[in-house]
Amino acid sequence: MKLEQEQIKKIFLSVLLLIALLYCYFTFLLGPVQQGEKTANNGIAAVIPQITDAKKQISRTAALETQAPDAIAFLNNLKDTIPDGEPIAWFPPKMSDFFKSHGIEKCTTHMLSEADDAMPGFKKLVWTIDLPKVDFVPLGIAISSLENEEPLLTIVNVSIDATREDAQYQHATLTVTTLVKS
Amino acid sequence: MPLHVNLYHEIQHQELARRRDPLRLGMIGLAVIAAGFVAYYCVVLERSHLVGMQYEQLQDEFSRLDPKAKAAKERQDELNDEITASQTMMQNVDGRFYWAPVLDQILKSVPRNVQLTHVGAMSGPSGATNTLSISGISSAIEPRKEAEALRTALAARLATKFKGVTATFKNLEDSEEFVMLDGRRLATATFTIEFQLQPKDPGDAPAAAPARKPKLVADE
Repeated sequence: MKLEQEQIKKIFLSVLLLIALLYCYFTFLLGPVQQGEKTANNGIAAVIPQITDAKKQISRTAALETQAPDAIAFLNNLKDTIPDGEPIAWFPPKMSDFFKSHGIEKCTTHMLSEADDAMPGFKKLVWTIDLPKVDFVPLGIAISSLENEEPLLTIVNVSIDATREDAQYQHATLTVTTLVKS
Repeated sequence: MPLHVNLYHEIQHQELARRRDPLRLGMIGLAVIAAGFVAYYCVVLERSHLVGMQYEQLQDEFSRLDPKAKAAKERQDELNDEITASQTMMQNVDGRFYWAPVLDQILKSVPRNVQLTHVGAMSGPSGATNTLSISGISSAIEPRKEAEALRTALAARLATKFKGVTATFKNLEDSEEFVMLDGRRLATATFTIEFQLQPKDPGDAPAAAPARKPKLVADE
């Protein structure tokens, strides 16, 4: 079958039109849609880990919220044992009362030094407690009670000397550190 | 055989030519291809729409979760700080060295013919070696042996409750003084013993209070 000149022209024009249509189809129709899909897919791939992380973070904090109260209560209870006000105002009377309750009448407390503690919100005070007239057994009981009842107090030095003035009693000096609110 | 003349020959030929027209066939082919492209476009468009909707849903979910996650992170930091502070405080409390059990052991170890004149105790930093120093007078026929017996007895007692216990004489001298004990005149020796000891565990609990009184020289 031999094509006529007119038909060849029509075929040529048709091919040109087809190419133009294909170009338009891929460039202006399919291209943007596929690009949008690709962008959305990339976005999904990026946002899913973020959502997973966010959910993990929320669940981690929720788990921590259930564990934390005991630890926080411990710290708060300790803080509650520290009276308000300047330690120089309340610590010496507290020690006097404590030793009096253990049968040791004479007690003199002096502050030696003050320094910030490693724990934020606390400072460490060093005191010397002079007990000029103590019997060894009440002193031992008092030290035992002091160590048990005062978790923020540490006895760093104990000195017990026999006195010649009164044979019944000894002279004791305690050096203690305490943590107080700064 | 009769002669057969096809008077429709021309019409049939034209019809055949029309049906085989390349332009017509090409147009039909193009139409089919175009329909395929349109169908494919519709499929891609629908898929893209679904993906876009999913993305929007996820973005909405993330925009709801993100502030909560940030608040949770801040809260977690606060809680961690408080828990760390609490644990540090607990370690400080548990890491203290308790002197009452040491005094109790001294009470239990000092025999009646030894009199203490000084007891000194000093804590090192948490977990470090602590030092105990006792000075006194021992009275016996061989007072040095009595002082040595006290050193070993107290070291043995302390070793049951503490680790790394060492006991050394810093001073042991015969004295020219004599004492009367149970009606006997006994020689005396002055001594100073230094003990080094460490707690076995950070959480060593203090022992019960001393039950009996040691003899100090001032009691005489």
